[in-house]
Amino acid sequence: MGRHVGIVGVGQTHHSRRRTDVSQAGLVREAVDRALADARLSMDDIDTIVVASGPVLFAAVNQPEKWVVDAIGAQGKSVVRVTSGGGAGFAGALAGYYQVAGGFSDRTLVVAYDKLSEGQLQYSISTLYDPFWGREFAVGIMGFSAAYWRARMDVLGHTEEAAAMVAAKNRNNAIDNPYAHQKKPVTVEDVLNSKPLCWPIKLLDVPPISDGAAAIVLASEKVAHHSTGRPAWIRGIAYCCEADNAAERSLMLSEPLALASRQVYRAAGITNPRRQFDVVEVQEPYSCFELNYYESLGLCPPGQAADLIASGATQRDGDIPVNPSGGCMGANPIGAVGVIRLIEAATQVMGRNETHQIKDASLALVQSGGGWANLRGCAVLSA
Amino acid sequence: MYSAPDSYPIELPTFHSEINLPYTLTPGRAAGTFLAEVKNRRIIGSRFASGRVIAPAQDFSPADGEEPEAFVEAPQTGVLTAFTRVDGQVIGFIRLDGCDNEFPHRILARLEDLAAGQRVAAEWDAGVEQSVLAIKGFVPAPDAPVGTVKPLDATEEPLGVIPYAMKLDFEHAYGPYYGRMFDEIRENGRIMGVRQPGLDAALLPPREIDDITHARTGTWKACADTGTIRACSIINMEVYGVTRKVPYVYAEIVLDGASTRMIHVIEIDDLETAKKTIKPGTRVRAVWVEGERKGRVSDIERFEVIDA
Repeated sequence: MGRHVGIVGVGQTHHSRRRTDVSQAGLVREAVDRALADARLSMDDIDTIVVASGPVLFAAVNQPEKWVVDAIGAQGKSVVRVTSGGGAGFAGALAGYYQVAGGFSDRTLVVAYDKLSEGQLQYSISTLYDPFWGREFAVGIMGFSAAYWRARMDVLGHTEEAAAMVAAKNRNNAIDNPYAHQKKPVTVEDVLNSKPLCWPIKLLDVPPISDGAAAIVLASEKVAHHSTGRPAWIRGIAYCCEADNAAERSLMLSEPLALASRQVYRAAGITNPRRQFDVVEVQEPYSCFELNYYESLGLCPPGQAADLIASGATQRDGDIPVNPSGGCMGANPIGAVGVIRLIEAATQVMGRNETHQIKDASLALVQSGGGWANLRGCAVLSA
Repeated sequence: MYSAPDSYPIELPTFHSEINLPYTLTPGRAAGTFLAEVKNRRIIGSRFASGRVIAPAQDFSPADGEEPEAFVEAPQTGVLTAFTRVDGQVIGFIRLDGCDNEFPHRILARLEDLAAGQRVAAEWDAGVEQSVLAIKGFVPAPDAPVGTVKPLDATEEPLGVIPYAMKLDFEHAYGPYYGRMFDEIRENGRIMGVRQPGLDAALLPPREIDDITHARTGTWKACADTGTIRACSIINMEVYGVTRKVPYVYAEIVLDGASTRMIHVIEIDDLETAKKTIKPGTRVRAVWVEGERKGRVSDIERFEVIDA
């Protein structure tokens, strides 16, 4: 077991559909400045840096960390770039966690970003498909996600209504989030009546396309108190994978997420996730994913996700609020999202979320993922 | 003892693949101002509190990340510090007079006429705007006086977005398993997989090692060109790079005799009917292209529903 690691400073940009006033590097700089100020530190205090972003094809800059390093004044420091599709930010945080937990760094800055206004999102994602076997018929991640949601409807009862409830919940929650940029009140009927894009996925099941960056400072127990009296301690964190096209891969439940949560729950002493967690932040690239996560994270048994959302338990005033921040529905700068979810959960357990604090929250669950739905991770944060 | 296995590379045909992508890149304030100002035939630089001047302008000092205190006009003359020739074109580093960085650009001269340390001057290209190539290149200017960095009163609004495009060509190696599969598709119009270890069901595409058991896979097996939909969605939006007319069905199909999915499409007349008639479990058959097969998945033009 490694050393205890806490999140001691957080910062994110005001995400938007398109930021024409800053370059990719400028976007990263904004989030880093905010996280360092929040942690009462300067770049001199940082030992190591992790830069995380989505696939290079999203914004056409290869090896962007060398550009980012100049922009954040990190010349001469240890820097690695981590990329893992939608889970890039979370995988970056995991890499940073290992550095501090392993005793190789006392303070690690993790900054994650994507500037999706610059490229062709779905086409870039289609290049994840095997070029020999499937890419010529790929429709990004949307065609695939909608197809397996359709299959889960029959097997697990993840209906269009249930997903629409998720979309409406998150969209309405995003209205209070100062960093979100899509903030329109939406009803379940609005979602159901919106245009089918890749049916069953409809327009309002889909998050916006965003430019944004997010940064966290991870610190060892030894130095955490210099930044805050109440860090958000990482009690467990894992990111697992599964085979891409194996015979046993049903895609009904997320097996890698179930594996990751088992590992993390054991580390954090979680035996009853529904009762123990005060708040949950998940990365829902489409509304249907959140239903899938309820089951894989053990918030409800398989097949009961539709009942869970319908019960209101995951609303902000429910007993297990999920995405009080609005999740991806408020803003979705893909590579940054894993870190944004960690920031949301951290500010909850630190008791300093200004706009959507869950009262007395002290234990939070974070989920993130990437790749072909075959990379999934989660983390537990506590006060 | 470290011994090399008895294997050697074989030259074989490759699979050509292209990625074509348009972009709208954001240069940021400094580079955006530089690009907006080239039409005024000025080279804009950044001056930092340390006194350092970087040209073309940058939002952050490459030395320490500090932000510039002002934009300045850099001289159009400088010193050639290094150069080389690439594809018959000479490129070099130019340290503009009064600036603290190297500006990479074309050198409009013969390589053999150049020497590090010689004076050069910018030559503009009348036909180009909003690009660093509005400066055509730098020409030797042995007698050019040493220029000075000048303060600026006002600059053009920075460019917010720059169009850009990438075309990437790849030649992927098939490997023995994909090679055989695509040869069989081209020559015999059949889809061959390999059996899972100890089972009759075939893995598609074929592979040497089973993903779950990590055991060596079994013998080759021809799968049927009929199968069952495992998952499907109805594509009803325009996506860059997809030319097929919408709506149509994106389907993950398990061919009879196989245990893994193949991705393909099914044509439909309308979305509402397809919602009810095409779903997981629906039986489908391949419709092959007419004429010569090329040895790719698109030799199957589409799948169609087998009427019950």
